[in-house]
Amino acid sequence: MNMHDTEDMPPDVDYDEDEPSFSDPEDFVDDIDDEELLGDLLREKPQEADGIDSVIVVDNVPQVGPERLEKLKNVIHKIFSKFGKITNEFYPEGPDGSTKGYIFLEYGAPTQALDAVKNADGYKLDKQHTFRVNVFTDFDKYMNICDEWETPEKQPFKDFGNMRHWMEDPDCRDQYSVIYESGERTAIFNNDPKDPIVAEERARWTETYVRWSPKGTYLATFHQRGIALWGGEKFKQIQRFSHQGVSLIDFSPCERYVVTFSPLMDTKEDPQAIIIWDILTGQKKRGFHCESSAHWPIFKWSHDGKFFARMTQDTLSIYETPSMGLLDKKSLKISGIKDFSWSPGDNIIAFWVPEDKDIPARVTLMQLPSRQEIRVRNLFNVVDCKLHWQRQGDYLCVKVDRTPKGTQGVVTNFEIFRMREKQVPVDVVEMKGDPESKNAESIIAFAWEPNGSKFAVLHGESPRINASFYHVKNNGKIELIKMFDKQQANSIFWSPQGQFMVLAGLRSMNGALAFVDTSDCTMMNIAEHYMASDVEWDPTGRYVVTSVSWWSHKVDNAYWLWTFQGRLLQKNNKDRFCQLLWRPRPPTLLPLDAIKAIKKDLKKYSKIFEQKDRLSQSKASKELVDKRRSMMEDYRRYREAALLQHQEQKAARLELRGGVDTDELDSNIDDWEEETIEFFINEEIIPLGE
Amino acid sequence: MKPILLQGHERSITQIKYNREGDLLFTVAKDTVANVWYSVNGERLGTYNGHTGAVWCVDCDWDTKNVLTGSADNSCRLWDCETGKQLAMLNTSSAVRTCGFDFSGNIIMFSTDKQMGYQCYLNYFDLRDPQQIEDNQPYLTVPCAESKITSAVWGPLGEFVIAGHENGEINQFSAKSGEILKKVKEHSKQINDIQTSVDLTMVITASKDCSSKLFDSTTLDHIKTFKTERPVNSAAISPIMDHVVMGGGQEAMEVTTTSTRIGKFEARFFHAAYEEEFGRVKGHFGPINCVAFHPDGKSYSSGGEDGYTRIHYFDPQYFDFELEA
Repeated sequence: MNMHDTEDMPPDVDYDEDEPSFSDPEDFVDDIDDEELLGDLLREKPQEADGIDSVIVVDNVPQVGPERLEKLKNVIHKIFSKFGKITNEFYPEGPDGSTKGYIFLEYGAPTQALDAVKNADGYKLDKQHTFRVNVFTDFDKYMNICDEWETPEKQPFKDFGNMRHWMEDPDCRDQYSVIYESGERTAIFNNDPKDPIVAEERARWTETYVRWSPKGTYLATFHQRGIALWGGEKFKQIQRFSHQGVSLIDFSPCERYVVTFSPLMDTKEDPQAIIIWDILTGQKKRGFHCESSAHWPIFKWSHDGKFFARMTQDTLSIYETPSMGLLDKKSLKISGIKDFSWSPGDNIIAFWVPEDKDIPARVTLMQLPSRQEIRVRNLFNVVDCKLHWQRQGDYLCVKVDRTPKGTQGVVTNFEIFRMREKQVPVDVVEMKGDPESKNAESIIAFAWEPNGSKFAVLHGESPRINASFYHVKNNGKIELIKMFDKQQANSIFWSPQGQFMVLAGLRSMNGALAFVDTSDCTMMNIAEHYMASDVEWDPTGRYVVTSVSWWSHKVDNAYWLWTFQGRLLQKNNKDRFCQLLWRPRPPTLLPLDAIKAIKKDLKKYSKIFEQKDRLSQSKASKELVDKRRSMMEDYRRYREAALLQHQEQKAARLELRGGVDTDELDSNIDDWEEETIEFFINEEIIPLGE
Repeated sequence: MKPILLQGHERSITQIKYNREGDLLFTVAKDTVANVWYSVNGERLGTYNGHTGAVWCVDCDWDTKNVLTGSADNSCRLWDCETGKQLAMLNTSSAVRTCGFDFSGNIIMFSTDKQMGYQCYLNYFDLRDPQQIEDNQPYLTVPCAESKITSAVWGPLGEFVIAGHENGEINQFSAKSGEILKKVKEHSKQINDIQTSVDLTMVITASKDCSSKLFDSTTLDHIKTFKTERPVNSAAISPIMDHVVMGGGQEAMEVTTTSTRIGKFEARFFHAAYEEEFGRVKGHFGPINCVAFHPDGKSYSSGGEDGYTRIHYFDPQYFDFELEA
């Protein structure tokens, strides 16, 4: 059968053409407007402008071909859906079919887009791709920049003066901060052997205590709302960092960053417990949660400030500056990591891991940023380890407490890593205790000599505490130079320049002090600062301050100044003295050969200085003598006037005592009675005869 | 100088005083006992028995006839010096903290503590009027509403009493009217002791604020200050040299950590004109509560919390010593 084409059907005769008309009458005026009728629908009417505020442009997206497009989209989705629901996406393609390298994403609300910009801008996808994220509307803004150049408003120059002013003191006096009156007053003094000279003194400068930055440029004070940094000649306020309830801070060694900690501020979304700030700009660089209650500082800085790291459960996270991002974008998984620390001289981290089933405990040295393990040392039957770096990073000492197989007791070894020698050889020093006792020698303190290769150990049990000095020699041997026994000491304080040190028995040991010259291990002086709670060397190693802090002992609060040889120079009593901190010095600007030249000519310089000292001494005594003379004159004058008045009152006195003159002890000698009183002096028994 | 040790008290010494001629030394303590000793060799002459509470203060009149003591047993008692007989007992409503004979020996003053609802009062009795003693009616009673009197001495001619207060103030109270003639506040904490120079022209104060100050008795002008790092319990002026001696430390119950220093509580000597410390004498096993110079200036004594009184005769070097000027 053939299909017919559609053709107009003949009109149906029965169909009535007059269907009712549904249009409005011609003169009908609509009295209901659209807004009333379907207002709510109208509001949802898509508008051309809608959605632009919620659009972001992401740049530096990898350019991929169509086969990897799906994977790329998944990655992008994963990263960007954190900020909100992505309602639309557009991946422009180039003529060759691969993506152009920039994409458009649309969120449900403008706030989400802003969030994405804030958090994803700068996100490092991989080595070659760091996202740049902007809101779409910004492009408009930048396109419409006025052609007319408007000079930006001039920011007044904040002149803080010479930030290194204290270093220019002609007498090379170092400064130190003193907190006293239980925290009400803070003062900065210039250290002069005669008497401290006040540089600045303020009431309520800090609410708790103060800290100096590592190179001495800033003084940090603590307040409820955050910390403040002060510096320059007049200690003006350089910068303020708002961190409610801040309790601890730490500076990066380069003084570029400061880390603040507050137990108050943490929320799940916004890590605020630990914040890292850029000191010069005052900007908040990054915030972190505080996961565990570990020791402060939780973030440890590398010596050059390039990296900082922290340890959490089974993880070592290393971050780099200035991006504040994880090095290589990931943390290191180190199962069981117990402790780590940076070498003070190189970008090397030392960490240790305890025993795990049959894998022995080990100490690892890792080079950063390569993450190459330059040395691993296995240790057996380990109970605990402590890492002690020498100040220049020349040596690492790992104090190992072990329980040797088959014994019950704990023995202590020092594993000395020689960092400057090829392949980092390790030497072991065994701390043998009393051979009679089953207990191991308990180690009270350990400290490396700064600038040198000696270390000192305090070991034993009170009252038989011994101080041993060891020298790490170049020939592979570690020699015990000297041991002092029966010391009253619980702390070791080396001079920052090495060679000299103070053994102190602080707090419960009543402030016993021993000044030692370790070049020949002699005791230069033994002294005492009763109940001393702290010992602080000045940065040059010329002076030592011992102090009794009000925080640990409520009477006799004072700080005493000694020479490095143990000669007492000053006793400074301060009402409720709390804390003294020397201002650190920045590293010397002199090149090594200039230092050598000065050391060679030291005799010449010392002559000039000695003469200057003698002059100032005699000047001091002359000043003192003059002061005394004038005080005596004043006193004499007062006494003469008083005696004159006394004379005038003689008549009255005689009357009061019935005419008896009692002005002098022998005034009324005639009235004296002589009385003989016998006193029993001695008894001697003399036997008579046989 | 080897000191003479006086062992006659079982509790801490509260005050020691020489008589005018210096041959006798009176010591009183918390053990209710008042003793008198020969200062030449430390032999005890006798004891004044009667008080039933800690004896806070003692004084002897210029003629060494009468002795006055004040005690926590709420009484001030008058004794015959030679026989030890109690001549009068004046009852009070609270502990008697400080007492003294005036220049003539006829008028006595004593202050009572602010205790148990009773205010601090400064009382004056005229001994020439036996009625006052019999009726226990002082001819003048001065209330001290603000800060209680902690130590007091008579002025040079018996016209006023110089009193030190708990808040560090020093006031001159007239012995005739009781009004305050002069007042100064140089100390920031309690005045523990006031003593006069032998010619009564100056007074020295010892304060809990760790300093001691020299004032003119009549004008109360502040002349000198002597600073230490421990609260000062007592101070005295040398009769013949430009020296002052100070003793201090803290009462055992105020110190929270026990000091393990044996025999290390020291009396400190300062040069009166230069305000510089030039010497210390160790020996007491506890804080020193009272110091006094012998009227001839050749020796001094100190009474301590340990219950001992030590008499020190100076070596010849003491008199030759000079600070460079």
